[in-house]
Amino acid sequence: MKNSSWPIRSLLPISGLALFIVLWQILSGLYNHVIIPSPVEVVRSFYGLAVGGELWEQGRHSIARGLAGFGLAVAAGTPLGLLIGLNPVAASLFRPVVVILQVTPLISWLLLAMIWIGFSGVPVFIVFVTTVPLIVINVFQGVNSIEQQLLQMASVFRIGKARVLREIYLPQVAPYLLAGISNALGVTWKAVAMAEFLSVQAGIGASMAVARINLETADLFAWTASLIGLGLVTDRLLSYLTRRKLSHWM
Amino acid sequence: MIDSLIEFEQVHKALGQTRVLDDFSFSAGKNKIFCIIGPSGCGKTTILQLMAGLEQPDAGHITGLAGQRVSYVFQEPRLLPWKTVAGNLDFVLRDVVTPAERQKLIKGYLSTMGLYEYRDSYPKALSGGMKQRLAICRAFAFPHDLLLLDEPFKSLDMPLRLGLVRYVVKMWQAAPRTIVFVTHDIMEALLLGHQIMVLSARPTEIRETIELDLPHEQRNVGEEPLTSLYAKMLAMLETENKKYYPGL
Repeated sequence: MKNSSWPIRSLLPISGLALFIVLWQILSGLYNHVIIPSPVEVVRSFYGLAVGGELWEQGRHSIARGLAGFGLAVAAGTPLGLLIGLNPVAASLFRPVVVILQVTPLISWLLLAMIWIGFSGVPVFIVFVTTVPLIVINVFQGVNSIEQQLLQMASVFRIGKARVLREIYLPQVAPYLLAGISNALGVTWKAVAMAEFLSVQAGIGASMAVARINLETADLFAWTASLIGLGLVTDRLLSYLTRRKLSHWM
Repeated sequence: MIDSLIEFEQVHKALGQTRVLDDFSFSAGKNKIFCIIGPSGCGKTTILQLMAGLEQPDAGHITGLAGQRVSYVFQEPRLLPWKTVAGNLDFVLRDVVTPAERQKLIKGYLSTMGLYEYRDSYPKALSGGMKQRLAICRAFAFPHDLLLLDEPFKSLDMPLRLGLVRYVVKMWQAAPRTIVFVTHDIMEALLLGHQIMVLSARPTEIRETIELDLPHEQRNVGEEPLTSLYAKMLAMLETENKKYYPGL
């Protein structure tokens, strides 16, 4: 049963992708290449950017900004989520703020960031404000999922507060934090490109702005592909780490 | 003399809307085995939780618990899923036992309960009975003055239950400490208890407290006085059960 289903299981996604490319090829034949470039043109454009060094030159800015904003969000969001989960006063104090953070339109943040911190810092700031609520909310849910029975057990055996936090709360929160990180990474590369598009001269988003002005649609597709690639690589890396760290007990 | 007893004096305790204990008083001798038996839902677990300090009485007093180190086998195993079998024991022992002593305790108790070869496994890989055995190891290994056992042998097979009852007896004889043992099993109570408190269905009252001074070696389920005590307790529990299930 297992043997017969595996080639089908791995063939299906590939067939789906192939179908998509075929449709793309057909559509590109119907329209001008400025509107829809063919897959071959996009691959050629991507190859040109990669070999010419442009891909890395622009990409490294985006990667650095994305990781900085995302790293700050994890560093600030994790303790904040723990605090909100553990302390009812902190919960009533910070939860509305987190909700407001989450529902504020991205464009407002973009404009405010340009006024407050200048153009160069906008992408990092945008990634931070869009990902920090995801981290906080997931960590908070992790804390809420703690079994009272385990806490009672620890209190009977007189385990100190620091050890309860480290050996009960943190392991319980870990899978939730990783889910939050996964959501946050999914948003990071989109947010960084959007912010770069509107605010700075370098980076994938800025290069997309240039490609748009010059009507180099194939380049636009190539940059998009690089963003998709970034998202896939970080997502795979994260699920690999999750499996290595948590699968032995989950 | 007052310190040789754990006493509940007119204790009231409600959990949510349910008044579990109402003006409830009893005393248990220290360094003796005190068994509590009664129908489900009559408040046995609540009594243990009050003794462990996990719940506070709404009114009334509980005395004789000051300075007592408590160990507890809960109705559920309550293991940490992210720690191994040995790690779960190490978790409770780390702050109270030296490292060398700890290794010895862990190895000793795990071997006794047939879990030593599983010491590096995680709880998810254990059966229900194995988890319960590990919870028993944890409670026995933790240094205590008062051991609370809430139907600890529930999910285990008959020969193992008997073996564990004998093991508790041996443990108690080696170092007599207060043990409060909640069970549904009349035989376990008769083989272990110095005192057996039989509770009624709610509203909870003490039907009878049986004093059993017979040394453990002389207790045999097939002989007097255990046979007639067995019959008597079974009759009492059946009467109480009828209040819950009038159709049976």
